[in-house]
Amino acid sequence: MVTAHSTSRIGLLTGHSLAALMRERTVALLGLLFLILVIVSAYLGWSATSTVNAIYLRSAEYMSAQGQTLPPNPVLDTSPLALLRNMATYVSLIGALAAIVIGHQLMSAERKAGTMPLLGSRPMRPADLGIAKSLALIVAIAALVIFAALINTATFLALPEFRLDAIGWLKLAAFYGASGLYLLVFGFLGLWFGASAKSETVGLLIPVTIWLTLTFVLPQITSNINPVAALNPVSALAEPPASAFFQITGWALGSLSLAEAYRIISAQLLDFLPANYIDRAAIPAAVSLFVAALGFAGLAARAIGRMDMTKGDYDA
Amino acid sequence: MRELIQPVLTIAGKDIRDALKDRFILLMTAFLLVASLVALTVAAIALKADVATYIEAKAGLIALGKDAASIPDPAFYPLKLLRGFVEHVEIIGAIIGILIGYRAAASERGRQTLALIVTRPIAQWQFLAGKVLAGTAIISAGLIIAFIVAGIAVTVISGVALSVDDIGRLAIVMSAAGLYAVAFFLLGFVCALWARKLPNALLLAFTVWLSFVLIAPQIGDTLDPDNQVAGGVFKQLQIAKPQQIEILQSFSTYETIRNGIEVASPTKHFERLSFAVLGIKDTYAGQPLMPILAEKSSDLVWLLAIALALSLLLFVRRLDPNRLSKE
Repeated sequence: MVTAHSTSRIGLLTGHSLAALMRERTVALLGLLFLILVIVSAYLGWSATSTVNAIYLRSAEYMSAQGQTLPPNPVLDTSPLALLRNMATYVSLIGALAAIVIGHQLMSAERKAGTMPLLGSRPMRPADLGIAKSLALIVAIAALVIFAALINTATFLALPEFRLDAIGWLKLAAFYGASGLYLLVFGFLGLWFGASAKSETVGLLIPVTIWLTLTFVLPQITSNINPVAALNPVSALAEPPASAFFQITGWALGSLSLAEAYRIISAQLLDFLPANYIDRAAIPAAVSLFVAALGFAGLAARAIGRMDMTKGDYDA
Repeated sequence: MRELIQPVLTIAGKDIRDALKDRFILLMTAFLLVASLVALTVAAIALKADVATYIEAKAGLIALGKDAASIPDPAFYPLKLLRGFVEHVEIIGAIIGILIGYRAAASERGRQTLALIVTRPIAQWQFLAGKVLAGTAIISAGLIIAFIVAGIAVTVISGVALSVDDIGRLAIVMSAAGLYAVAFFLLGFVCALWARKLPNALLLAFTVWLSFVLIAPQIGDTLDPDNQVAGGVFKQLQIAKPQQIEILQSFSTYETIRNGIEVASPTKHFERLSFAVLGIKDTYAGQPLMPILAEKSSDLVWLLAIALALSLLLFVRRLDPNRLSKE
């Protein structure tokens, strides 16, 4: 049962963890890079869409001169939300890496500072530390996502030609909810290894290797998406060749391919999912992300609960 | 001369022995091999599916009365199967380079032996040259294994023996991959040698990796108008190649900026060279090697220049005594 005392302790630990996190320059650097890319993403979407429109107009002149029939302008089929299609890529690249670093840093800072034995000597349940660190992680990731959402909202307000209706705004909000959930998966992964790894470097490198596998290796097995194609929001949604192999791997491993699950959800919410795209995974993409976030949160809580509170540093 | 070289070789030998004990470097190299084999197997399965589609379409056309002799057979280039492998080398190979470079400095700082080394009768360049030599040897050994495995896998999967020309092309790409990974080794080494806090060095190197290996090529690729519409904008508009070129002339400034972003990345130079030499890019498939090398020599020069610039940075700056410990 959570008492008023333990709530106050958790609040104190959460606040302290966030204050320590904000002092970390590398976390600030990654956070800043993410926010710069949020702005770049909106510019890229606008620039690329405008260029395709200009190419269409130029092509239309040429085709009219040749007496050819004009096909419809592909830009007119594009939703204004698709302007932000690159956001899905940046969230899964820099956002996920920043989330790993935040999760890792929340535990490693405590271990390096030698404060674990001190925390162990306080009247505190092992679960309190886990809850406080998880709350700090959720607040830090929510801050990143809210900043990104504010920048993108300002972008839409500044570009009247890309006007959103009520459903559009709701979809945009849902996209940021999904992005937050995806980042939490990696944040909890970083927290788990930040608490359980024997060395600081290994605690950082194992989550990065898992992220590499999820982002570049699994999509290749399930959908024949090459690593570089996985970086392009449009190419990454190409249909796999008609083969029993991809039907089976897509069904069996698709639920584990979290980067793909997030990409599908993003494409649905930002209106750039091809009409004929079929998600072959056994479990719906949103459920995969929920289960992964809950699973990693559980593993992180278990690792924090099992930490030896008599040990100061990694080597101690 | 022997007196000058011996300390370099001693440090290199010690560093290689230490690196081989580092399970994470071995694990990442194994990860590259597994990812490469996955890429090759998946490419072969995708090719088999394409061949089945072709046979089905051909049968359909013959059934409609088309002369079988007039339907061209598709050309098959086994080295094209290496696309995913090359892309994994671009991404994971760079990380392995960073990790080996980071370990080369971190191992000394962690054991507090760096301060001891600078008190010995050994020049700074000898110490650094020993570390660079060891890093280059470890990277080369890993890449040689990866490329041999990839070459054998291509032969087994495709059922076509690689020719001497194919092996030569693989050797060229392997050398370029070595140069590329050494550039990232130097980045990891410089960061870990100079950073105030060691884990920050790794994060800084990863941020540079993320920016130049993933983000810069991604921006260039995304800005390509043909990648904005599923299947390609010109394909959707049904415009032939000569007219595409003519239309795109009106967008030369845009294309220059887009290309400029791409070439800021060493990864793109390695990719352009590799895809051309291996014939992965359609325009180079089946073309003789020498003209391709002549055309792509600038990419090789870029890789060399990046590695040399980082080496210069490493050797010119003096070791800071305040950066010789773990923290």
